[in-house]
Order: sequence, then structure tokens, then C-alpha cells
Amino acid sequence: MTEKIVEVENLKLNIGRKKILDNTSLELQKGESVVIAGRNGSGKTTFLKCLANVIFPDQGSIKFSEEVPPEKIGYISDQLSLFENYTVKKGIDFHASVFHIEDFDYTLIKELKLDLNQKIKNLSAGERTLFHLSLILAQEPEILLIDEIIHVIDPYLREKFLEAVIDLMDRCQATVVMVNHTFSEIEKIPERVLVMEKGQFILDEKSETLGEKLKKVVSEAEISDEVPRIFQRELSYFREYFVYPFNEELRKKFPYDYKNTRLNEIIKAFVGGQYVKKGNQ
Amino acid sequence: MFLSDLDFSSPVPIYRQVIYLIKLEILSGRLRDGDQLPTIRELAKILKLNPNTVAKAYYTLENERFIESKRGSGNWVNYKKAKLDSLRRGMVEDEFRSFLETALSIGATIEDIKNLLKRYSDNDRKNR
Repeated sequence: MTEKIVEVENLKLNIGRKKILDNTSLELQKGESVVIAGRNGSGKTTFLKCLANVIFPDQGSIKFSEEVPPEKIGYISDQLSLFENYTVKKGIDFHASVFHIEDFDYTLIKELKLDLNQKIKNLSAGERTLFHLSLILAQEPEILLIDEIIHVIDPYLREKFLEAVIDLMDRCQATVVMVNHTFSEIEKIPERVLVMEKGQFILDEKSETLGEKLKKVVSEAEISDEVPRIFQRELSYFREYFVYPFNEELRKKFPYDYKNTRLNEIIKAFVGGQYVKKGNQ
Repeated sequence: MFLSDLDFSSPVPIYRQVIYLIKLEILSGRLRDGDQLPTIRELAKILKLNPNTVAKAYYTLENERFIESKRGSGNWVNYKKAKLDSLRRGMVEDEFRSFLETALSIGATIEDIKNLLKRYSDNDRKNR
């Protein structure tokens, strides 16, 4: 049984004359985990901030289901500043009193070997992120929004971070939305992959079927226009085509060498290549 | 236990790959009849997977009668010996088929493969 947890309809947001979100719509189900990819400036972070109620769109609506009061939405980003002049201990106590948390879970803080008397402004970027995560986890969020932070954390802390997120997913059936630039570590977690371009979602696929529906063709010569593609790029010696949607019929009709591809590669091609609009397919 | 060889780019869904991994553990004897499996949450953390993926794999393994889940106490390896033999035959044949495809695609003949097989079985006999 799926149960809708949030419905986002036709968000529009301009900064100056630039359209950041352009009729962006999305539905998320309870317990779903989603990754949003896309090049810098495509609107991912803005979209996430709208979900987190940090900024408000010019137009459109975001409706959460009744079981998601604002304090059950957790938002983690590396740009946040949190009680900078407090010590770690004071930050935790303050947070716990505001959100009525009785027994704060110190597991992550202990694993980090954080000095409780250290000032928060003196923490490293990775420590600060994990500190922030442990504050958010204490609220047992229904929705966890993670904004491009995995790359600022070292591999050890990254593992701890992912384990904590997986734990939350299983324990609370939390919905997780990640915005990412690096994928090798997290690619097996999301059940759904979204790609954003110019404030719109241009790809929305289940991870399970993404491998079957998106293939790569590397070729010296141009391939037939009839092969549908989502993006392509030209390198010095060859061209890369990301064929989508792919099916076995296509292989019979156009017998190119269709290769399986990884999420990381898809994103690299997407950032460095050219998005082929649906109208051309 | 559980070397992480899951491949996201493979057309085989991840939960199928988890099933394969656990069957390998069973066949190789690292997981024995009656052993307890990690909980869904634990295995998800070890392999950095979505817990739903692990749940789906366990559920399928239970339907195929390789494991038994007891409410509240976890998942346990539980199989009949005959089942293991047919699993082994199936997996060996799958591996052989993919080996054969690679060998034939780089120009080997069935005769080459027969010779290879003979050489290896002779060596094997000598070593015993």
C-alpha cells in the first residue's frame, strides 16, 4: 500500500529574471527514497529548500499529509549555521528542549569522538554535518532532506552517515530525498531517480528499471536520429549517446552496442553534455 | 561474510543480486542450515542498501524455501538437502553458460573447451 506523504504542484520561483523552478511538480510516497541529480544551477537545492519550508515559491503549492507537522521535516545542508557560539553540549540541550526530546541519542556523537565542550563553530565540515544529523534524527523525522553533503565528509564519517540514514529508513519508514553530485556510494539506496534540468524533472524512473531503460552507445560516427536519447555529448574521438527509453525492439532495429551504465556516468554526461529535448525524440 | 559485489549497472535487479549472494553463502557452507541471518536493518547497513531491497530478497528466499522467518526473532537459514543439490546444478550451469558465451565469442571451439576440461581433470586426478 502506498500512501502519499507530500504533493508538490506547479512550483514557480524566479530569482531576478532567472527562472529557477518552472512548473515543478512531484509526488512522494511514505517510506520512499529518492535521489535528485542534475547540473549546478538546475534548481535542485531550491526545490529541496521549498520542501523544507526554508524558502517560499512565487507560485504553486506543497501539501504534506497530516502526519507530517513541520518539526517532522528534517533538512541537512552544509550551508546551515547552527548556534555557532554554543558548545556541542549546549547545542544539544537547547535543541532537545525546543523539540521536547527527553532522551537524546548520543551514539553518533560518541562515534565521532566529539568533545562536548567544543564550540560548534570550531567543528570541521564533516563533524558539523554529523552533529546536525544527530540533532535531526532525535526528532525522528518523517521526511529527511539531504542536500549535497556527502562529498564534504570523509569516507569513515560518510559510512556512519549512510548507516544512520538507512537505520532511520527502516526504523521509522522515513521518506528520504537526497540531492547529490557523487553517486557511487549511495546509488543502491534510492528506489527512484530524478534528474532536474532548468527547474523541471526530465527523468523520473524507478532504480530497478533504470538499468533496462537507459543505455549508453559510444560511437565514432553519429547514430540514427530515430534512436531516442535523453542526452548526448561529443568528445574528441567519439560521441556518447544516452539512449532513453531503451527496449529490446530498438536493439533489433538499430544494432548498436548498447552498454549498461552507472548513475555516476549518466550524471557526468548530463552535466558535460547536451540535453536533448523531448520534442526531438 | 557477504563480500559486497553488488553491481548497480547490471541489468539484474539489486534484490536478485542479494538473493544470489546469500545462495552463494549457503552453497559454499559459510551459512549453514539453522544459522541466523543478519536482520534486514543490519544487512542494509552492511551493504549500503535500501532496507526494502533486503526485505524483498528475504521474502523471496523464504518463498523459495531457503530461509525461514520467525516473527520477532529474525530470519534463519532453513533448507532441505535435495534443494541444495538442484540449486548447485542450476548455478554451475549458469556459470558454465556465461563462460561458454565468452569463450566462443573470442573464437574458441567446443573442441578447445573439451581439451581444457580434460587437462584440468587430469591435473585434478594427479593432485589427489
